[in-house]
Amino acid sequence: MSATPSPPANGSPADRKLSAVSRRGFLKGAAVAAAAAEGLLHQQPPASAAPAGDPAAPMSGPTPITLKVNGKDREVTVEPRTTLVSALRDHLDQPLTGPKLVCNAGTCGACTVILDGKIVYGCSVLAMDAIGRTITTVEGLGTPEKPNAVQKAFVEKDGMMCGYCTSGFVTNISNFLNKHPDPTLEEVKERCKGNFCRCGTYPHVFAAALAAAKANKT
Amino acid sequence: MPTTQPGKKTILVPKIVNGVPSGEEEIVVDDTDAPAWGPKDKHRLINTYLPRADGPHKATGTAVYTHDVKVPNMAYACFVTSPHAHARIKSVNKAAAEEVPGVLAVVPFPNLEEVRFEGQPVAAVAAKTLEAAEEAAHAVAIEWEQLPFVVTAEDAMKPGAPAAVNGGGGGRGGFRGGGNRGGNPEQVLDALKSCDVTVEATYTSVIMHHCCLETHSVVCDYSGGDSATVYCSTQGCNSIATDAARELGLPASKIAGIVYNMGGGFGSKFGIGIVGQWACRLSKKLSQPVKLVLTRREEFLGAGNGPGAIQTFKAGATKDGKLVAVHCIQHALPGIGRSNIAAQPYQYHAEHTYREQTTVNTNEDSSVAMRAPGHPQACFAMESLMDELAEKLGMDPVEFRKKNVPDPAWVRQLDAGAKAIGWNRNKTPGKSANGSSLVRGMGCGIGAWGGGGRGGCVATVNIGQDGSVTVQNASQDLGTGTRTYVRAIVAEELGLDYNDVLEEIGDSRFTNGVASGGSTTAASLAPAVKDAAYNARTEMANRVAPHLGADPSAVLFADRQIAGNGKALPWKQACAFLPSGGLSVRGEWKPGLSGNGAHGASFAEVEVDMETGHVRVVKMAHVQDGGLILNRMGAESQINGGMIQSLGMALYEGRVMDSNLGVMVNPAFNDYKLPGCLEIPELIPIIDDGDERNQVIGLAEPANIPGSGAIANAVANAIGVRIRELPITPDKILNALAQQKNV
Amino acid sequence: MNAFEFANAPTVEAAVKLLTPSDPKTDPDELPRALAGGQDLLTTIKAYITPAPRVVNLKTIQGLDKIADDGRGGLKIGALATITAIEESETIRKNFPGLAQAAHSIATPQIRNIGTIGGNLCQRPRCWYFRLETVKCLKKGGTECYASIGQNKYNAIIAGGPSYIVHPSDLAPMLIALNATLTITGPEGSRTIPVQEFFALPKVSVRHENVLKPGEIVTEVQVPATALAAKSTYLKFKERESLDFAMSAVAAALEMAADGTVKDARLVLAGVAPIPWRVPDAEKALIGKKPDAATLLNVAQIALQDADPLEHNAYKVPLTQTLMRRAIASLTA
Repeated sequence: MSATPSPPANGSPADRKLSAVSRRGFLKGAAVAAAAAEGLLHQQPPASAAPAGDPAAPMSGPTPITLKVNGKDREVTVEPRTTLVSALRDHLDQPLTGPKLVCNAGTCGACTVILDGKIVYGCSVLAMDAIGRTITTVEGLGTPEKPNAVQKAFVEKDGMMCGYCTSGFVTNISNFLNKHPDPTLEEVKERCKGNFCRCGTYPHVFAAALAAAKANKT
Repeated sequence: MPTTQPGKKTILVPKIVNGVPSGEEEIVVDDTDAPAWGPKDKHRLINTYLPRADGPHKATGTAVYTHDVKVPNMAYACFVTSPHAHARIKSVNKAAAEEVPGVLAVVPFPNLEEVRFEGQPVAAVAAKTLEAAEEAAHAVAIEWEQLPFVVTAEDAMKPGAPAAVNGGGGGRGGFRGGGNRGGNPEQVLDALKSCDVTVEATYTSVIMHHCCLETHSVVCDYSGGDSATVYCSTQGCNSIATDAARELGLPASKIAGIVYNMGGGFGSKFGIGIVGQWACRLSKKLSQPVKLVLTRREEFLGAGNGPGAIQTFKAGATKDGKLVAVHCIQHALPGIGRSNIAAQPYQYHAEHTYREQTTVNTNEDSSVAMRAPGHPQACFAMESLMDELAEKLGMDPVEFRKKNVPDPAWVRQLDAGAKAIGWNRNKTPGKSANGSSLVRGMGCGIGAWGGGGRGGCVATVNIGQDGSVTVQNASQDLGTGTRTYVRAIVAEELGLDYNDVLEEIGDSRFTNGVASGGSTTAASLAPAVKDAAYNARTEMANRVAPHLGADPSAVLFADRQIAGNGKALPWKQACAFLPSGGLSVRGEWKPGLSGNGAHGASFAEVEVDMETGHVRVVKMAHVQDGGLILNRMGAESQINGGMIQSLGMALYEGRVMDSNLGVMVNPAFNDYKLPGCLEIPELIPIIDDGDERNQVIGLAEPANIPGSGAIANAVANAIGVRIRELPITPDKILNALAQQKNV
Repeated sequence: MNAFEFANAPTVEAAVKLLTPSDPKTDPDELPRALAGGQDLLTTIKAYITPAPRVVNLKTIQGLDKIADDGRGGLKIGALATITAIEESETIRKNFPGLAQAAHSIATPQIRNIGTIGGNLCQRPRCWYFRLETVKCLKKGGTECYASIGQNKYNAIIAGGPSYIVHPSDLAPMLIALNATLTITGPEGSRTIPVQEFFALPKVSVRHENVLKPGEIVTEVQVPATALAAKSTYLKFKERESLDFAMSAVAAALEMAADGTVKDARLVLAGVAPIPWRVPDAEKALIGKKPDAATLLNVAQIALQDADPLEHNAYKVPLTQTLMRRAIASLTA
């Protein structure tokens, strides 16, 4: 091969093709029109979108909504059945990669996001149910260049192997330390019991949580 | 003897097929001096505690996995799978599926008439959204003719049971013929007569699942034309292009195979698999990129599994603690596949041994490699047997083991592990000192793994005129820390800081990598990287020495400087002497830099509630050798991970089948129970520095082997009754205690 | 997941209207479904167990998530109060400790943050067979309880038949022990019933676990101030501590007399029967007695006197007896 390919440094999405694709043409165009023609779309945009008509009118089919993600209003077209994690990963124009879809049943924690200040499973919340609420993902907590204390501690304590559970743990623990700045090991375990790891990184995750708490204090 | 060219030599290296060690093969390598690792205790980066190179991206959610890939105009695909364990497809009606808005293609698999396990894919669907693809897959109407099936070993071993696979059965139920044998059974049975103690017992372990958090997934970025990029969650980045080329009808050289990051493999992900085949086929059909991701249920049902085993022993020892005779019938339970359980008496030496292995097929997905294929199963059974013998001998289990291990490494490790756990068994199993229902116990076990390096890896080090350094290789990082040591080896060799070097891996266009199976990646790749870094250093020395007025052989690389003749040039300044294209140097795997044969010993302490059957693992220690350790932090993570996976095997995990319906009843994380935070004991990972081999030896798999046996032994020591079937769940403990009371 | 309509209900009345099927003969699994926390609802829809045509969001109803004093020292808990809110309520922790413990025992922090008391009471069964899309069991309109002849380790040992599910709620048994009531609102108005009467055995209603009729929702739970509330506990046994439903659990509430005997007792089992299972005979055996070891053994025996285990779940008998003894002991120590 003559041309040297340039993959992203450490797996970050340098490849511009990874980051963006407009789905809006499809969602706002053909499908909406088709749905409306079939009389399926009696929808009124919900509260945070333009309010009009009966607020209780059922919505169906692709519907444009606004989600408040990591401090920014993001327009996205979703169906009623679209989960929050799918809206973030599959439907946003600039999709997020932090929250992962692993079990799709509220039993593993990889999709953990912070909704109005509380951790929830993104796979178990409908996107439409997150309208008007504050959504924070792991990307909203820090960046590789400017990580928060928990992210930094995860690197220092090797709180990850394959890394697929990491976003969920980091999100959970970052939120936890806000209200519990000085947790015990047992409290960390109790708080993280809804986050599962298959590589077996747990002891390093616990160490990272405790180290981050310590770092936050100094 | 094959004739070798001058300057070449032929050596034997381990052969690994899809993650399973399959003997050895001869390869030809350069017969030249290789660079040496240098003294183990003199390293600046390797063999120290290094933070993971990909850590900052993984911790911030910006590391890209195949599941995260989204390319313009990408369609989403889903499989339609069989709800039956064994059935014939009578008809497929696509009409309703094709009417789902947004559907692009509904493709029943050609020439597929019969399915042999629940969850077997039978058709693929593509649509503009994931929601539409799922809905359409669900709307494909298939008329089935159900056929006789067996989904449990118990049913399969009954005379006259239906054959799970073609050529199975033959009057022997689900047995597949041609079991392999070793030893003389009569001799063993004779030898048993002269033993002071004997044990006859059957140990059972069930089919387990890899449970990679990232399910099997492929994005085929192809829109027609003459090239494609294929993102795949695989342990073998190397083969993506070749595999995809077959499906796309393109030359492999026009396909980029990408594995930037992957969310776990554990042996279940080689090649592009059926997921990749159909992503490519649909992409070709639609001239549009296609993403195909297995659902968690599909992953459980059809993405491979680790085999179960039923192992029946007759074994005996003499009162001086010598294991004399072991007779073992091993049934491997690999679904419709084939599988090997490691031969008994596993790592122990006995003068008289007989082993016979048979496969019992069932209508379940094929077993594939799963972290140390066939070893945890063999180890659990043998270690249980060893403790049962030790008990009859009235001998301490550690001492009994030390008398029967063929390699002194285990003696050293058993001593180290016993010390770390505070070896102190329950002298009155089933009773606690204070009369409470909580009883404690301890157990141990040993394991071994071949591993070893293989030829074929080629690494490239590029040095820019601006001083930038990259190291490239096609191999992937499963989470095992490949990126980290690749970077560290180069930085150390060139006297640079860890962060001065950028590793670029997981792209099939880079120089030859190795598939991650059999714990061979580090032993195959690290030597190639070392060789490339060594060559780069030599080349840099040659270029820079004249500017220093020094002899190239006397030039030193340290502290981000190149020094000689009493002068020193900062690295960047030295690189300015390079041509504008910089320097690109390759290196190959060299045999002297890697070794094989890893040994480990696990210890466990448990606390069991005799009234509820709850087992709490209090503490585990695992001692593991691995020759020259590339990253001690990563190695400890691996050892911890191995202990935790063995804990899952011992106490929680297992596929559960309904024999009436032929279905798996627990294909979800709610019901297939992985250990979580509250199940994690105090863990003591111990790198065995008594191992003097100055060679890279993989240790990912060995760390997973002896833990389940150690825990099973600890439970038996705690409660005074032995549970011979994994996982050891509360119901089994309560039943066993009730039975004991009734006897 | 099948496509469905989504509606935000601004009021209870609107919710009831949106949830009432136009055809009263609609199959129970195809009724519009109420969305509270959604933790169970979404899993059942995703797995095609209950292909809801419409999901009605109750969280847009103002004030349905309040935990309030009833003016007599008791509680009025809105159906949308989250499990976390119950677990963390100072009043509940202090005056109804068993309820706080039951809340804490549920699932994981992520689920408790969004799961609600109403949703917890209305959960569908966790039986393996019920949760498999490909299996049409008795509860889904089929003809067979496959658990009864198959893998029934987690199924009912008491009052099973024709279905052998166990009810998954942790709050329900505790609420029953606390003598709680709940209010149901539907097309025909509201009614308040004891929580115990909310649940229906399979022999009465095989498709439903409770008495809700189409269009009805739980709107409030009332927990009275009683002499039993302060000495209440919920003891849950999970196979996997991190995340699991109860293999077995005991909710107990006691009132002690000055002489150290038990004056009043309410004992409820969970994880062993298709509904939360109160054991009045065991209560009678405890009342008036000093809770010594012999009494506890006797009470535990009586509590499980009706057990009739299936092939794989006899272990639940000694397990539940142990939990019963320990629960009472923890309240009287």
